[in-house]
Amino acid sequence: MSNLIELDNVGKFYGNIIALKGVTTTVNAGEVTCVLGDNGAGKSTLIKILSGVHDHSEGTYVFEDEECAFTSPRQALDRGIAAVYQDLAMVPLMSVWRNFFLGAEPTIGRWPIRWVNKAKAKSIAKEEMAKMGIDIRDTEQPVGTLSGGERQSVAIARAVYFGAKVLILDEPTSALGVKQSGVVLRYIVEARNRGLGVIFITHNPSHAYPVGDRFLILNRGHSMGNFAKEDISLSELTQLMAGGAELEQLQHELEQAVSGGA
Amino acid sequence: MTDVAAHPDADDGQPDERLAYRGVFTRMLVRPEIGAVIGSAAIWLFFWAVSEQFGTAGGLSGVLDVSATLGIMAVAVALLMIGGEFDLSSGAATGALGIVTILLVKDIGELGGAGLSLFIAIPLSFVVAMALGWYNGTVVERTGLPSFIVTLATFFVLRGFKLGFSKLTIDNISVGRIDEGHGFDFWHPIFAGVWVRNEHVWDTRDVVYTIGILLGLALFVLAIYEGNYLRKKEMNPAGLLMFIAGVAGTVFGVVLMHYTSGVSNDIISGLVIAASMILGFIGVALWRYEPIAGDNSIHLDSRVLELAGLGIVVIVIGVVCALVVDVDGQQTILDRLPVVVEWLITVATLALTGAIAWRRSGGGTSGSEQRMALFQAGRAGLVGAISMLAFMFMTTEQGLRAILFVGLSTTGLILLAMAALRARKSSPLSGSLILALNSLVIAALALFIQAESGHPKFRTEIFTVMMFGAALVLAWALVSSHYQQRKAADHDADRLSTLLSVAGLVAVLVGLISRLLWTTTTENESGVAFASFRMSILWFIAVTAVATFVLGRTKFGSWIFAVGGNKEAARQVGVPAAKTKTQLFMIVSGAAWLVGLLLAFRLQTLQSGTGNGLEFEYIIAAVVGGTALTGGYGSVLGAAIGAFIMAMSKQGIGLALWNSDWRFAFLGVILLGAVMANNFIKAKAEAVR
Repeated sequence: MSNLIELDNVGKFYGNIIALKGVTTTVNAGEVTCVLGDNGAGKSTLIKILSGVHDHSEGTYVFEDEECAFTSPRQALDRGIAAVYQDLAMVPLMSVWRNFFLGAEPTIGRWPIRWVNKAKAKSIAKEEMAKMGIDIRDTEQPVGTLSGGERQSVAIARAVYFGAKVLILDEPTSALGVKQSGVVLRYIVEARNRGLGVIFITHNPSHAYPVGDRFLILNRGHSMGNFAKEDISLSELTQLMAGGAELEQLQHELEQAVSGGA
Repeated sequence: MTDVAAHPDADDGQPDERLAYRGVFTRMLVRPEIGAVIGSAAIWLFFWAVSEQFGTAGGLSGVLDVSATLGIMAVAVALLMIGGEFDLSSGAATGALGIVTILLVKDIGELGGAGLSLFIAIPLSFVVAMALGWYNGTVVERTGLPSFIVTLATFFVLRGFKLGFSKLTIDNISVGRIDEGHGFDFWHPIFAGVWVRNEHVWDTRDVVYTIGILLGLALFVLAIYEGNYLRKKEMNPAGLLMFIAGVAGTVFGVVLMHYTSGVSNDIISGLVIAASMILGFIGVALWRYEPIAGDNSIHLDSRVLELAGLGIVVIVIGVVCALVVDVDGQQTILDRLPVVVEWLITVATLALTGAIAWRRSGGGTSGSEQRMALFQAGRAGLVGAISMLAFMFMTTEQGLRAILFVGLSTTGLILLAMAALRARKSSPLSGSLILALNSLVIAALALFIQAESGHPKFRTEIFTVMMFGAALVLAWALVSSHYQQRKAADHDADRLSTLLSVAGLVAVLVGLISRLLWTTTTENESGVAFASFRMSILWFIAVTAVATFVLGRTKFGSWIFAVGGNKEAARQVGVPAAKTKTQLFMIVSGAAWLVGLLLAFRLQTLQSGTGNGLEFEYIIAAVVGGTALTGGYGSVLGAAIGAFIMAMSKQGIGLALWNSDWRFAFLGVILLGAVMANNFIKAKAEAVR
């Protein structure tokens, strides 16, 4: 099979505002494609196109050899494209297993007497979390009591269990500490090893570089290039992402300020 | 899966090193309804003690009757609130839907009404109810306005319609009579059947009741033992024998107490019960648990002695008060005292509370701080003085005696318990010593009540329960200092512990239900027991059961929590959020339809104002039951118990022969107290998680 997702020159306009232009990249099964960019670079717009929140304005979006233009997240989800958003889409006061199966609870019995198969739901939730390499002590505990990294893992495990082929992660490490970020990065690798295509959106190149197979760099709505891992180093990536010359200028100014102050 | 191998303790039942061990009972506290359960027990005890009628089958049937209509609505409103919305039209809707039904069956000849059979009118009004709920839900969802506003508008519209339509069609604001409708004889037993139990005399009822309560408490204690103490490797059969002897002795004591009379006999049976209980509990400990090794020092610091001393002084004051104040005085305090004394008391309260507030704030150093402190002191003084006046205004001498005695002795016991907790920190044995003191004080109080009380229920039942409590505390003191607490989960022990507490609950319920369903000859003779149970109670139980099932075990239940907890998240994973919320509004209006019919068939004629203003009582009941105002958290059972608490307060004030005008003040206090207790328990529970 060829690529899972192929984007060719995809762009998005909101009226006269060009939010995104000329994005070309691929996502393969069992590979991590990182989308890097500073604030306002167009990352969110790209996710919205990929996950079906918005349609794209130009270019082609090919999923499993079939050109598509989703108009709702549900359509994308049905095809196997699942997005895990920054705000996690979790209900904090609800238990882990209820969150895991929310909207797709396994049931016993026939309507009107039909109830949730709690034992099954709990054991599956625990099992799936274990496959992601995390052991949930008690699936009855509210999601709100989990750490940020663990919550991410619940969301990822849920997407994987419900048959996602492509997993879009929107800034999963941005709100986390160093150790927690490491945990999440491990889940990303775990999902990749299980044959999913992962799109990892971040503004932190040092998080992206160790796990990524392919890097798409955005700046001010434009694609700065699409690289395979062997073609680029971490420092080049950082340079490109921040707009190269600008970062050098900033570094220069900072050095002056520091020496001037001392 | 190499990563799983990195967590060897993932599935073999071993404790997780990140997770401190949490006992069965701590886990129980996490339930949202626990505050309501404890509160209802306290309020029940309170009214049972101060009122002649409250604890009888008659009194309780009245309480249940009131809680039924309130509770059906509270359950539905709790579901809606968990789903994150309010319905302020729910109260008015009950009356409106009842009136709609009556208007539909009224004869055409008599100025309006459709003259339909009840077989058509009842389903038709159900359709109206569903439409009403659908309307509320749809408007809230489509406009995105807060449901508070939308349903407030519906409330006013309904109020207007009720008045307007009643006047327009029958030119009267009281709409009747449903019993003229065709099919009334069929529907009346369903919605307003009455089950009278006055002839059901069972003279050993109180024995069953007492044994039920005592057995329940004993089982709870055993459950706590099992949940907290480390099991022995090899059980000790001698302990088992002691335990059996203890149980036999206790039962013998209770029966002896019931069939003999006279103070000396009661004391003997009380002592038998106490001794057997202690024997039994120590027997269990010997039989099953691992003794502690080491520390046998006794160390009591000054703070412990202070607390214990203060506790005993407070209890002595309570006892003195009970001896001094008139037993039978029915006049209120304000009537009895000379005006000068009243004012002296009021001013003294003002000064005292003000001074305390001043001292607590430290007075302050700068000018503005001093003004602030002065303001606070003045405010506290004013609140104190007004509360004192209100208290004197509504309390009879007899009531004062009960309140002073119960309040002071409870405070004293709490102080003693605090002393025990503190002493325990230095060594288990010193804690046990103070606990033993506690037990002695309880026993002394029990003997005092038995000697002084004017009513047989205090002489036998309270005495038994208190003696039992004293024995329990003593047994606890002995066991807690000599056996090892469990630090890790033990599935067998936890299961047994849960089983024991469930059995305890069943025993308590059997006791309560026997009390509810049977009368004794004495009660019949004194004329306090008129027990008539209405159909509405069964509806209440059914609605609560169905709603509990729906919330806890169905898809829809999960969705209710989800839309209330995080609507966007729920929508993202494919929960039909708008539909769920609309259905919740329809559940509320469906409940309003049921309550409307219950009222219509009971009263036959409904006033157009029926139900107006009750919506807040439903919300209060739900909140008292542990439902969060912000949505996403709560319990149906809690709301039902909340309704029971409110009904107890309403009925209890009447049955205690207090001025019923004060019941709203009482409700306000209960609301605040319950919510504070709920928050406290929730915070505690979350901390242990």
